[in-house]
Amino acid sequence: MEPTIMRPLNFKKIFLNLLWPLLPFTAQAQENKALHSILSKDSILISSPSVQNQEEDIVTQMPNRHHKYDKRVHRYRRAWEALIPTHTKLQYAGGMGLLSWGIGWDYGKRGQWETDLLLGFIPRYSSKHFKITMTLKQNYIPWSIWLGKDFSLEPLTTGFYFNTVFSDDFWTSEPERYPHGYYGFSTRIRTHVFLGQRVRFDVPEKYRKFSKSITAFYEISTCDLYVVSAANNSYLKPDDYLRLSFGLKFQIF
Amino acid sequence: MTNRLLFFVLMALSFSGCDMLETHPYDVHITGERELTNKNIQLIENKMQGKKTIRFAMISDTQRWYNSTEDVVKAINAHGDIDFVIHGGDQSDFGVTKEFVWMRDIFNKFQMPYVCLLGNHDCLGTGEDAYRAIYGNPNFAFTAGNVRFICLNTNAMEYDYSEPVPDFNFIENELNNLPSEVEKTVFAMHVKPFEFIFNNNVAKIFQLYVNQFPQVQFCLYGHEHQLTVDDLFDDGILYFQCPCIDKRIYLLFTIKEDGTYDYETVEF
Repeated sequence: MEPTIMRPLNFKKIFLNLLWPLLPFTAQAQENKALHSILSKDSILISSPSVQNQEEDIVTQMPNRHHKYDKRVHRYRRAWEALIPTHTKLQYAGGMGLLSWGIGWDYGKRGQWETDLLLGFIPRYSSKHFKITMTLKQNYIPWSIWLGKDFSLEPLTTGFYFNTVFSDDFWTSEPERYPHGYYGFSTRIRTHVFLGQRVRFDVPEKYRKFSKSITAFYEISTCDLYVVSAANNSYLKPDDYLRLSFGLKFQIF
Repeated sequence: MTNRLLFFVLMALSFSGCDMLETHPYDVHITGERELTNKNIQLIENKMQGKKTIRFAMISDTQRWYNSTEDVVKAINAHGDIDFVIHGGDQSDFGVTKEFVWMRDIFNKFQMPYVCLLGNHDCLGTGEDAYRAIYGNPNFAFTAGNVRFICLNTNAMEYDYSEPVPDFNFIENELNNLPSEVEKTVFAMHVKPFEFIFNNNVAKIFQLYVNQFPQVQFCLYGHEHQLTVDDLFDDGILYFQCPCIDKRIYLLFTIKEDGTYDYETVEF
């Protein structure tokens, strides 16, 4: 409401959002420097009880009781390693902002599950100020069909996402000044469901720079408020309550 | 394979211009007509100039009833003798931008000019921004013949005392600058005094101001989805409540030259 309070807040949000694109690169740096070098040290410690320090020509005997500790550290590292995002995603429209960018994780036996955390922005348009949004998205990709060469078709993707807006115009639950449940919904949190399709291009090894594969997708989605609006109103047609969006997924590893 | 890819790209391009690509439900990205209050006030004032008999319809609380709203537009058009329409507020349920656009597109089928008040639901999220872009200031007034219509934002609770609601500066400015042809006054608002959304600390002061206007005919409001008529302050000024559109009723008022007025409830 108050522009004087909003301005510094917005600046912070904008600044944080500007840092977001750097994430894939920092993730890569971790992989290349920190992880590989640390993991190789680990394996030396476990495989041989002694380590020869070549500079000083001294043979150090590693005590056996360190074995449990090393395994624990190993496990600990592996657990955190699982949190390294496996891909980045860019999505256009879809009720999560004009453009959203974020990180995500692939998992499941065939990599059929994907979870994304995206930050997007809403231009000012006719409102009082520019807004940042955040989306938590869950995808399910049951099938992948190899099309030949480096291309695959994923004929169905489905899932849901929750979107929140960082702005004082919205509330998660009604302010106390209203009787309990007066409006009975959150203006801030939107729930969307979607169906879509994707095409994956596996980047040939000699051309790989940042991505192992690049996937292009489109989605048809709708949100909770559109569903309840369309119910009982034949006046609203599918192009009123269905939304289209496009995106790209960059597989890091 | 290349065919499929080409198909994908072509499909992407064919959709790229349409309304289905949405930034956010609350993005206030307005396509189509804007500033309708001023445009319609101009139309009403020109059309009614010099007239002493004024017939207007009132509808209210059309939120999430698109089918019924479409029907009432047809019914009011079919009546054939209505000068203009007042919407009592709450055209949106959630304050979502598209709700305002959908409703505007239905109202634009009115064959006569119309004005829309701001309802409490219209204030949710970025709703007021959308209202202001499509319609304009939520406090406005116009002259139809010899009657001044004063339309007010009374949704005080939505502003949490951050803005003066009702805006007495606006009311006083109206009182001090009434056009010379004005002989009668009608007030319209979304929430009536004594309802909890109204700033009830000033309910009686509000009525003191109302009483200073020339020949106040009656006050109009919506919000509670009922059809009611009350003398709220026991001072002879009637408050008419227009029911929600789901009740499939609109109000029809005729302010006559002899100083009286008629009102009808019309089912459709």
